Amino acid sequence: MTDAWIVSIAFAAALVVVGLYGLLTMRNLIKLFIGIEVVAKGVSLILLSAGWARGNVLVAQSLVVTFIVIEVALVATALALIINITRKTKSLDVRKLARLKG
Amino acid sequence: MILHLALLVGLVLFSVLAILARDLIKSAICLAAASLLLGIIFFRMGAPYAGVFEISVVAGLITVLFILTIALTKTEGDVRESKLVRMVFPLFFVIFALIDALVMKGLLAKIPMLESAARGGTFSDVLWRERTFDLVGQIAVILAGVFAVLALFRKRDPHD
Amino acid sequence: MIFLYLALPLAVAAVLPLVGKVSKKTLPDLLGNATMAFLLVYTATGAKSLLAGGPLVQRLDWFGETVNLQVALDGFGLFMLLAVQLVSLAVGLFSIDYMEHYGAKANYYALLLVMVAGMNGLILSTDLFNIYIFLEVAAVASYALVAYGLEHDELEASFKYLMLSVVASAAILVAVAVLFGMTGGLSFAAVAEGLKTLPARGVVAVCSALFLMGFGLKAALVPFHAWLPDAHPSAPAPISAVLSGLLIKVSGVYALTRIFFNIFGLTPALSQVLMWTAAVSVVVAAFLALGQKDIKRMLAYSSVSQVGYIVLGIGLGTPLGLAGGLFHLLNHALAKGLLFLNSGSVQQATGTRDLEEMGGLARRMPVTAGTSLVGALSVAGVPPLGGFWSKLLIIIALVQAGEGVLAVIAVLASVLTLWYYLILQRKAFFGKLNERWRDVREAPFWMAAATVVLALLVIGMGILFASVLRTWIQPAADVLTRGF
Repeated sequence: MTDAWIVSIAFAAALVVVGLYGLLTMRNLIKLFIGIEVVAKGVSLILLSAGWARGNVLVAQSLVVTFIVIEVALVATALALIINITRKTKSLDVRKLARLKG
Repeated sequence: MILHLALLVGLVLFSVLAILARDLIKSAICLAAASLLLGIIFFRMGAPYAGVFEISVVAGLITVLFILTIALTKTEGDVRESKLVRMVFPLFFVIFALIDALVMKGLLAKIPMLESAARGGTFSDVLWRERTFDLVGQIAVILAGVFAVLALFRKRDPHD
Repeated sequence: MIFLYLALPLAVAAVLPLVGKVSKKTLPDLLGNATMAFLLVYTATGAKSLLAGGPLVQRLDWFGETVNLQVALDGFGLFMLLAVQLVSLAVGLFSIDYMEHYGAKANYYALLLVMVAGMNGLILSTDLFNIYIFLEVAAVASYALVAYGLEHDELEASFKYLMLSVVASAAILVAVAVLFGMTGGLSFAAVAEGLKTLPARGVVAVCSALFLMGFGLKAALVPFHAWLPDAHPSAPAPISAVLSGLLIKVSGVYALTRIFFNIFGLTPALSQVLMWTAAVSVVVAAFLALGQKDIKRMLAYSSVSQVGYIVLGIGLGTPLGLAGGLFHLLNHALAKGLLFLNSGSVQQATGTRDLEEMGGLARRMPVTAGTSLVGALSVAGVPPLGGFWSKLLIIIALVQAGEGVLAVIAVLASVLTLWYYLILQRKAFFGKLNERWRDVREAPFWMAAATVVLALLVIGMGILFASVLRTWIQPAADVLTRGF
């Protein structure tokens, strides 16, 4: 069982890193958020495979369902933000969002 | 196992395409395809409810939200991504894959685990009896999301 | 019924939009503040006596079915609940007048209540995944609240905050999943029990690093602080007060402390990492605060610096250090809440946040200037205010533990803190009255009242520090020294 868990973690890690790569390099706001979605896929894969490896898939399954619900709330909020931003800046470019100094 | 590996490879492939695709709509569709594969993987791992949620909610609902947003912001013109991003990516990914394989083989293979027997019960038992507090959390997060969207799309009336 | 901390704000939040259709302002004001006032009174009177018999675990039955609605409360949790309830009530009162021109008050109070419910839920939960859920509840509400003004700056700050915060949550959830895979449990007790029997030093180190990164981002410790000086100043003033006063502490410091003390156990190496990260935060953010011209940005950098003090005390791990850190958490929550509310009063009166343009406002806004002075002196650590005692405790604890270098850093940084707060006071409130502000008026009643209440609390913390320490802080620190 553990081997299968390692394989899943390896692929999930790939998803997380690909998502982070997108997050760091993309300029389009929607693309940035797609990067976050890819990270979220990796996380849910880790979560479910953890339960699977233990033969306790039921609990992991209910965690993943909760995670998906949270994701929906988050996506709705983020996309509403993006729509508001494009109304203000007339662009999807993240470089237009550089008024604050960080 | 082969099928499982193929599904996982497909999942990563579609995710990469979702990041690198030039067109936003294509990007969103690749993301939906990745979700679909993830749903099938969940199903094959013995988690049919998680699989259904992944396919219907993430591949369905969230993709619809994405496409809606893309449509609503379409008039604003294209954003040119830097060319470097796509050129560097294969190199980056190959290096990462090597590290990933080595780390997983060496270090993580030693993850110790407590022994446990497979457990019985049904999904609804677990969700409703054991993880009930999560449901309260779900209600809270849905409320948060609904109010957030209402707040962000409200009309700003200066005389309000 | 400690479940009320979660159920009541959620229930009120759910009906508020309907209420808002009937009455646009009065009823939402009344309902929102009554809820928070009730919870505060309940914390101060009822819940305290519940704890007399030790930590409390409550399970609910649902129509005769046994379901697992388990909430737990101990000294640490109760202390955090007190801080949350105090600041959120003051903020609620302040919002009555301040949020007038933002519109959609029902929606605003609903979001505020959901955020409070999220923080309360996080404090009451006994299981790693629930911590993650309520972290997200509070976070989703806070994204919308930061962007509540819907102007360019607010939206930009909120988007950046969202991006970093989501990465933090992902790191936290990955660590939770790995712990779940190893031990098969999610509750604090089960995971701690499982880790005891497993030879898993390496994996625990990886999980600690992930938690440190995730919660460090939420608590805005340097080097993870980049989002805070954008997000906190851009939010409406009452929300800045909640975010700086509470959210970074509950979803950052509290969760971090819970996990490191009650699950992993504080190892010397971890303690060193925490303390040095904290010390870097204290110093770097203090220097950055010095150079700010925007009053709210200065306060935001000060928050990063003061959270550093809190983590410094808690990371030390000795009973005295814990007491100092927790006391500083309470003091900073009250004082920084107060200062952000005052910055809101100033911004509403003058329309600017630029310190250079202000000046002499004390003559026009005596209440705001006076309460602001109290808050600033407390955060800067001037006796006899609360902040002085908590910083003193932290420094004594550091000296006792033989961490001389860190103690010197803490003392020097507090001088720096005093310096930039004096700059703030002098530029904003003292000196010659700028002609532009001749017709500026004192803040409206509820805004002034909320700041006066907080200022009195800050003074009270200083004068009654011994009894506050005994009744609230000590039980909380005991929970942490005992482990689990």
